[in-house]
Amino acid sequence: IATFLGRKLQPRPQNEVEETLKRIQGQKGVQGIIIVNAEGIPIKTTLDNSSTVQYAGLIHQLVMKARSTVRDIDPQNDLTFLRVRSKKNEIMIAPDKDYFLIVIQNPSD
Amino acid sequence: MSTTRAKPKKPTLKVTPSSRVLNVSTSGVLRVNHSSTYARSINASVSRKSFSLAADSKILDKSSVQTPKHTVQVFDENGKDVTPQPLYQPDPAAVMSKHSKIFASDTSGGTMSDFYSTAYQTTTNASFAGPFTRSVFGSSTVSRGSQSTMESMNEEIEDPSSKRDISISLSDVQVRREEVKELIKEEMLDDVVDRYLIESETLWLLHMPAVSVSVDSEEAVSVKERNNLYMELCKNRMGNDKYVERSMQTFNGAPKTKEVQSEAITMVDAATTATTWDMYDSFRSAGLGEAALSPDTDKASVPEIVSNHRLDPTRAPERTMSVISTTSIASASSSRIEMEPFVVPSEDEPDPELVLQSEKFQQDLFVMERIILENIYQPKLAAYRQLPTLEDPDSVPKVVPTVVSRREESSLDEESTLTPALERLWSFSCELTSGHNVSSMAWNKRNPDLLAVGYGQFDFKDQKSGLICCWSLKNPTWPERVFTCESGVTTLDFSASNASQLAVGMHDGSIATYNVESREKTPVIDSSDCAHKHTSPVWQVRWIDHERGASGEDKGETLISVSADGRISKWFLRKGLDCIDLMKLKRTRNEKAKKQVGDKEKKSEALISRQAPGLCFDFHPTDSNIYLAGTEEGHIHKCSCSYNEQFLETYIAHKGPLYRITWSPFCSDVFLSCSSDWTIQLWRQDLFTPVLGFTSTQSAVYDVMWSPKWATVFGAVNEGRVEIWDLGASILDPTIVSLASPGVKLTSLLFATETDCILVGDSDGQVGVYQLKNLTVGEGTQVAALEDIIGSTLASQL
Repeated sequence: IATFLGRKLQPRPQNEVEETLKRIQGQKGVQGIIIVNAEGIPIKTTLDNSSTVQYAGLIHQLVMKARSTVRDIDPQNDLTFLRVRSKKNEIMIAPDKDYFLIVIQNPSD
Repeated sequence: MSTTRAKPKKPTLKVTPSSRVLNVSTSGVLRVNHSSTYARSINASVSRKSFSLAADSKILDKSSVQTPKHTVQVFDENGKDVTPQPLYQPDPAAVMSKHSKIFASDTSGGTMSDFYSTAYQTTTNASFAGPFTRSVFGSSTVSRGSQSTMESMNEEIEDPSSKRDISISLSDVQVRREEVKELIKEEMLDDVVDRYLIESETLWLLHMPAVSVSVDSEEAVSVKERNNLYMELCKNRMGNDKYVERSMQTFNGAPKTKEVQSEAITMVDAATTATTWDMYDSFRSAGLGEAALSPDTDKASVPEIVSNHRLDPTRAPERTMSVISTTSIASASSSRIEMEPFVVPSEDEPDPELVLQSEKFQQDLFVMERIILENIYQPKLAAYRQLPTLEDPDSVPKVVPTVVSRREESSLDEESTLTPALERLWSFSCELTSGHNVSSMAWNKRNPDLLAVGYGQFDFKDQKSGLICCWSLKNPTWPERVFTCESGVTTLDFSASNASQLAVGMHDGSIATYNVESREKTPVIDSSDCAHKHTSPVWQVRWIDHERGASGEDKGETLISVSADGRISKWFLRKGLDCIDLMKLKRTRNEKAKKQVGDKEKKSEALISRQAPGLCFDFHPTDSNIYLAGTEEGHIHKCSCSYNEQFLETYIAHKGPLYRITWSPFCSDVFLSCSSDWTIQLWRQDLFTPVLGFTSTQSAVYDVMWSPKWATVFGAVNEGRVEIWDLGASILDPTIVSLASPGVKLTSLLFATETDCILVGDSDGQVGVYQLKNLTVGEGTQVAALEDIIGSTLASQL
């Protein structure tokens, strides 16, 4: 059957989120993934509760500050990604209006 | 109370009605008590009124008197109108006297009624207000006649006015005047009003006469005299009959404490930082139709949020504006506390689910994964991109035997050249691909980081479903796109004109094109229902760009395929229709070819079909009309698109099926061919025997490819090893040899275009990326070197 399908952008399947999360979790050196909603309440996490809450609260403030800085310089700009590299690991944050995606990785593991 | 009668008229003491008024007003607080002593409560109210009027008019000094005229008429027993006339009319110009005038007129109006009411009734009123010494005056007024009281009133009014403490309540007068003012304002808002500033009369608010006089002044003499007189008087006072000591007792009123308690005023501290972006956001959303709402909601919501448990006070206002516009409009005017429930609940509930499923989140995950992988693979990717790799200063130094030792060796070496080698960087593989045989690989023409790999078995025996994976360099652990096909994929190629179009040829003879940009798993076009589709495995597909098509109209890219059913077909989309039409390029039969060239080897073969299975082809890099095709018999045919009946040339040298033919990208008449007879042959198109032949092992060479960078370098893959040949270095042996892991066969080879890396696919589904190290080929593309080699070889053959 010759089928010609329109080139619409199909929405991604729902389980792809889970798959991607699993893949990320399985990558080398990834210590944890935290997904926090807009108020700083963790939705999903692979770390223990106390660490999650601690990370969520602190990172929230940091992102607010970073975003405020970026936008103060140019209000049409916005923060898209934030990486904090430290001696022991790296914290990568993808901020958005409704959520934060936080991944902690130790690349030299 | 009646002791007051003794007091004569003294200006300082005469307060009377006004004082009574004062009393009333000050005791207005206590008026319940005092007015009850009156037989006539009207007294109190009237006098209060009059007092307040007086007080107001005192304040509104410059205004014209707008006194409510009390139309009080007084008649005595005989019915005569004895209404006293006011002594003088109020004059707005005069200030000083105005005080008194106003008082006079007002108080006259007020107190007159008050007075008269008292006058007609024998009263014991007056000095009701016990606490005040001035109660004295009240009664003294009563005892007088009306006229005298008027005078006394006038006099009295001046002084006590300064002593008054004024408890003022806004009266009608004041309000009326203000209203008038407002009316004027509205009407004349836009007019230019002239204002004249005049110096007014001086108001004496307080005059404290000095108690001492300078010696030099004129009064000094008289003052001194008086002082002396006084001193004499004091001296004479003692024991003088003229002076009698007398004591008086004044009443001290019983103080009463009154306590008032009010509710504690709740204070809320509000703070906000007006950041540049906050203002920008407010203006933007205000401009979008929420108008005057935004600054108000900002102010209203900010103190709100400070008291919230939220962690982002400054973000909340913009969110409330953008998300909950209607509720915030409603609540903008409401109290702060009311706003809170509007904001909080509607945010919380849909969040966790929606967030995880949103497209943006997926995008972020995607990017995050790549970033994580970049962290992991950074040294490898840097090597691929030919960037210097840096050691992570914080990472624990590990012993890396191979690279470090080689470096040490090389640094110790005194030779200038280092051993060329292949360094394995990483491999593209995942559990989806394990077990599949890599049959072909192709780079995307527009994005050199994108790689398409086709998986399918070569043999007809163990056919599995085929797989196409599009890998990105940025994620070596998971392909960007995965397409499954019914039969094994044998070949694929990216289009150059439409960079997201991928043509795939399969083992069952079907050809499909996929659009790798979309996420659909199905091909865009499939050749399955075409009448002339291939009936045997398609061994090669390629997009060819014709400058002029065979039929004169087909400019642009067309898809050419060769298949084992002996046809080289050209595919294109007919305009308007979805089906694919093809133009056959008929292949001449084996016999013809054999007859033409002359054969020694194949006489006894039985003919199964009159078409030779085609296995590979390659178009000339510059002249897209000419192409070479290799068959299963080992013949290479040079053909032209314009002649679909005959070959131009035939080259015979190989003894087995040809797996690959490839023109040199630098020397336009040189090409390579490899076959299962363990050899690679280098040809020049004008010679019918190969110029050079290369053998290294006794295994079929599956793939050969020229290096895109050097004319003398090419790579070859046979079953067990990868070989890189550098003809400039040696024409007998490969320069680099890398062995495959045991049990795994290497099946395909691809050079990376921008860097010195090769990709090797194997039968286990892995595509390994190797970097060519230390391959010193020399400057430039070595075209001349290649030609030299060829020339010298030919010369030596003669």
